[in-house]
Amino acid sequence: MSGASKKRRRRGLVLIRFAAMAGKEVNHILRDPQVLLFALGMPVVLLLLFGYAVTFDIDHIPLVVVDQEQSASSRELIAAFEGGDLFEVVAVRETPEEVEPLLQRGVAKVGLIIPEGFDRELLRGDSPQAQLLLDGTDNNSAGMALGYANALSQAATKKAAERAGTPLELPLEARARTLYNPGLRSTVVLVPGLMVILLVMVAVMLTALTVAREYERGSMEQLFATPIGRLEVILGKLAPYFILGMVDVLLVVTVGVLLFDVPIAGELAVLTGVSALFMLAMLMQGLFISVATRNQMVASQLAVISTLLPSLLLSGFIFPVESMPSPLQVVASIFPARYFVHAVRVVMLKGGGFESIGVDCLAIGLFFLAMLAVSIKRFRRFVA
Amino acid sequence: MSLDEHVIEVRDLSRKFGAFTAVDAVNFDVRRSEIFGYLGANGAGKSTTIRMLCGLLAPTTGHATVAGKDIARDPVGVKRSIGYMSQRFSLYLDLTVQENLQFFAGAYGIGGKKQRVAVDAALERAQLQDSRNVITKSLPGGVRQRLALASALIHKPVILFLDEPTAGVSPDSRRDFWRMIRGLAREGTTLFVTTHHLDEAEYCDRIGLMVDGKLVALGTPPELKREHVAGAMFALADTDHRALRAALAGDARVLQIQPFGRRVHLRVDAALGTPVDIQSMLTGRGVAFGEIQRIEPTLEDVFLELVGGAS
Repeated sequence: MSGASKKRRRRGLVLIRFAAMAGKEVNHILRDPQVLLFALGMPVVLLLLFGYAVTFDIDHIPLVVVDQEQSASSRELIAAFEGGDLFEVVAVRETPEEVEPLLQRGVAKVGLIIPEGFDRELLRGDSPQAQLLLDGTDNNSAGMALGYANALSQAATKKAAERAGTPLELPLEARARTLYNPGLRSTVVLVPGLMVILLVMVAVMLTALTVAREYERGSMEQLFATPIGRLEVILGKLAPYFILGMVDVLLVVTVGVLLFDVPIAGELAVLTGVSALFMLAMLMQGLFISVATRNQMVASQLAVISTLLPSLLLSGFIFPVESMPSPLQVVASIFPARYFVHAVRVVMLKGGGFESIGVDCLAIGLFFLAMLAVSIKRFRRFVA
Repeated sequence: MSLDEHVIEVRDLSRKFGAFTAVDAVNFDVRRSEIFGYLGANGAGKSTTIRMLCGLLAPTTGHATVAGKDIARDPVGVKRSIGYMSQRFSLYLDLTVQENLQFFAGAYGIGGKKQRVAVDAALERAQLQDSRNVITKSLPGGVRQRLALASALIHKPVILFLDEPTAGVSPDSRRDFWRMIRGLAREGTTLFVTTHHLDEAEYCDRIGLMVDGKLVALGTPPELKREHVAGAMFALADTDHRALRAALAGDARVLQIQPFGRRVHLRVDAALGTPVDIQSMLTGRGVAFGEIQRIEPTLEDVFLELVGGAS
């Protein structure tokens, strides 16, 4: 037999063995409705649940008002607060002393106090003062209220000054324009992040169980008594779950776009490409867990721990990675979830192409290769 | 190829796990189309030996060739030439009969049309044509075992290794199984069987007996009995082995007294060859006994003799 035909024959054998492994795994998946339910049902249900429940958009902050001035300009200031959806006046009181008990009881989170003489000071050109009391235990609401209140009172003050014939010129004025998400809607930012987390959890869990199951049932020994190779086992197990994972991506993106109005500003091909890469990395992480533990119980717990915490806390999904202490940033930069959250936001919201997510793709790719290498190494050919 | 050709050659094969020596410098050969029984109690080193010979475990020291391939240097070559059926015959229970066979055919690199032919032949051989689409889980143990055997044979291996093949199988199925094994040997397959059922070992052409990692006996069943069980054996009915022992204490001709079911086995010097000899030996010693029968020693006696000597 010539060298070339020998090589071709060997490649043919590799393909046959790989196909046998993948086909067997497909049969396992199709026979187990729980796997399909977990893989396809859970992400959609959780996306709906979290997508509707989790929101960082703050509105209808309860406001208590004390207007001791009772003038046109003071009423204008109050009207400005009431105008948007942000504040809702829940109480009107006579004296400033009555405000704090309401904050304490949680009836209101913000108190607006306009003292006597507000109008006079405004007309005189002095800086008129209105007091804002904030409930600091809800720092998100307080921060938002403070920012809005500053902007609103500035606008109201300017208007009042103009009317009084003494226009106010600010030495420095910031004019901000928000790109990519003009309404600063948190769902637009959250849903892509949420999609990432769900995909991570499902992908790692799916493969974490497969190899461990074979060790537990004793079929791994039988498998190793055949000429099938480590790489053939690993890739054969990976392939069907990869397809399942990509169906998952499709489902989750569809739900995100249709129900949560998340835009896909970038190209679908880029989104698919980076998702495929990420899916491979996560499935490989699951396989590594499986190979290393050889025990379904331990593997499933490790799968949850190694995905949920990093993807929830260290991915930049909720807390920006840039704001973390530097040791934590180092830890965060190991997990591919962080890069994928970034890449998905770039592609879906900013319309970026591969050139804007090159670093992310590289990091995810490296993680995949590292996981593949350690899995093969751990996957001892000789089962002792 | 002559029938005397050695398809397995084992030389000073050892395997240590830390300080524990599971297999200790074992030597033996297995000839083509022979049924070789590898016997021993649990933990005697049977499974470790079989795993080394199947290329699943590297030896610590020593050598072995299986089907002409060195187990340490060419484990994949070994795997291609052998079939292996492990203790828990590891079929995939959620797959159908046919899917299991297809998978193992593919794992041995048999694809396409060849795979269909091989699977059909295996189904026919195991008489499972009618259950090809049955989920394996719903098959009774004996049928599953037949399927496991068919899976292990799908690539027509030269040697078939069976690790405790009849564990957890009904006696009827066990008989059928051994009938199949003997059929395979007649067709030229070499069989290497581990078992701790001594009655099954009688079906083997040759036997190796493992005690604490060492091969303590090797030979055909009659050879082993001749070599290791000296003297003549008799079965005595209606007697008490303690009373017998007391009555015969100090008699140098008595080699062994052993209760065996409802009877007592008495092994004595070969000079006492007939039941009449035994009757005259016992008469007047104040011990009751019934019918006396000359019996052949079993492998169990060989085993007791050898294990007793070792401990």
